[in-house]
Amino acid sequence: MSETLKYTEAFEELQMLVTEIERGEISVDELSEKVKRAAFLIKICKTKLTTTEEDVNKILRELDSATDVDSDD
Amino acid sequence: MPEKVNDKTVFSLLEVAKSIQKTLSERYKNAYWIKAEMNKLNYYRHSGHCYPELVEKKDGKIIAQLKAHLWKVDYQRINTKFQDVLKEPLQDGIKILFLARIVFDPDHGLGLWILDIDPSYTLGDLEQEKQNTIQRLRSEDIYDRNKRLTLPLLPQRIAIISVETSKGYADFLKVLQLNSWGYSFFSFLFPSLLQGDNAVASILRQLNTIKRVKKHFDVVAIIRGGGGDVGLSCYNNYELSKEIALFPIPVITGIGHATNETVAEMVSFSNAITPTKLAEYLIQKFHDFSVPVKDAQRIAAEYSTRRLREEKVHLTSEVKLFRSITTNTLTSNQAEVKSVQKNLFQQSRFLLRKEKEDILLVQKNILKWAPRKSSQANVELIHAANALGQAVSLSIHRFSLIATQWKDKLIFHGTLIARNKRKDLNNIEKNVLNMSPHNVLRRGYSISKINNKVVTDFKKIKSGDALTTILLEGSVISVVQSTKPGENE
Repeated sequence: MSETLKYTEAFEELQMLVTEIERGEISVDELSEKVKRAAFLIKICKTKLTTTEEDVNKILRELDSATDVDSDD
Repeated sequence: MPEKVNDKTVFSLLEVAKSIQKTLSERYKNAYWIKAEMNKLNYYRHSGHCYPELVEKKDGKIIAQLKAHLWKVDYQRINTKFQDVLKEPLQDGIKILFLARIVFDPDHGLGLWILDIDPSYTLGDLEQEKQNTIQRLRSEDIYDRNKRLTLPLLPQRIAIISVETSKGYADFLKVLQLNSWGYSFFSFLFPSLLQGDNAVASILRQLNTIKRVKKHFDVVAIIRGGGGDVGLSCYNNYELSKEIALFPIPVITGIGHATNETVAEMVSFSNAITPTKLAEYLIQKFHDFSVPVKDAQRIAAEYSTRRLREEKVHLTSEVKLFRSITTNTLTSNQAEVKSVQKNLFQQSRFLLRKEKEDILLVQKNILKWAPRKSSQANVELIHAANALGQAVSLSIHRFSLIATQWKDKLIFHGTLIARNKRKDLNNIEKNVLNMSPHNVLRRGYSISKINNKVVTDFKKIKSGDALTTILLEGSVISVVQSTKPGENE
């Protein structure tokens, strides 16, 4: 879940950055730092779009152990 | 015919049955419209006939029941009609209005021979059930519970309730897996029956299974498709609809039909007409995420490029301005310096000329006052004057220094000298006394006067002058006979 929060936060922060940029609120001095940050956030978001980390076996194991405890089948 | 046995008239079972059959057939000559609940359809695949169980319930208890039969030909006709009107086949647990003859067969007993069933009655009843479900969910305030959940920005991990071999499931996976944007999904199938009488229990069971591993999933998708638009009344079931509404993570449905939405679809987080459309809904969520990210990338790049370009232009213009200002200032200062220089030159020339004139005037004066001096001498004189001036000022300087040095000495020695001098002075005073005319005259000297004026110049004495000669104790007046120079010592 922490990973989910991470990409959600990255997305929100990115949106805020874009708003700042569009309003022209970033000085040239800050520009390099902000663009670097944006690139970092974009990378997180793009990675999330194209990868998943769920493990079928783990889910199966959890289902098995849960069934042992309360067998309603 | 009945027999007589021990005064008793005894009927055979067949005779009784036949009697009943006769009575009933005479009594019930027509076919009647009857309403009842079809508890079981009892369809026999082999013969194609059905033997429905018909009941009437009051407060959940059966208060009447009759067997019935529906022959293969009638069943096929009625079933087609049902599917046309209800999108449902004839099935267990529906209320029906049917046309039937009351028949009694000695072999099979009493039963209703179903000739026709009116699908609109069942439709109304199913609609009623659906409305009841909706009403109940609303009154229990759970109707839109699932809708109020938040779908993650990227609904990436999908628990699918479907049938592995169904076309709908295949369509759904195809759209997700073959998407051309490279979006990544994780799906896990929880197989279940999806239509008919057992669908409700089967789906409920899988929903419960998913609940146990819900942390691995963002969304549950109930997918059905390829089965035609029939057998969906289970999705109006209260228990199933309630479970979906109360499910802890969003449930989305792609049940695949074109008729009215079922309650399960209504209460789900989101519903699509087909599994394909449902997959596209998820893809759209990814677009909604991906597009702003791409925009952000473009905007950041464009903005920073533009901003740097602007700054560069700004800087260049500043440099240009700076250069122009400094050049102007430099030029104007140069002009001023030139004009000052010119002024200085003119003034110095003027002064020089004036000085020269003064010098010439002085020179002229000098020449005037020393007309016989040659010009060479003049030059020398000027040089000498200059040298003299320098020497004088140098000497003055030097002497002022020496004077300062000497001043102290002078003061120091002053008193001493004064004392000595006073001694000297006394001596001198003595000498002076010796030198007084009285003493001089006493030593034999005399003073000559003419016209009461002392004569010192020999040449002024002429013959015949009355010369007065003053001695110590008196004067002699005599007339000069002659003068003779150069004899006195």
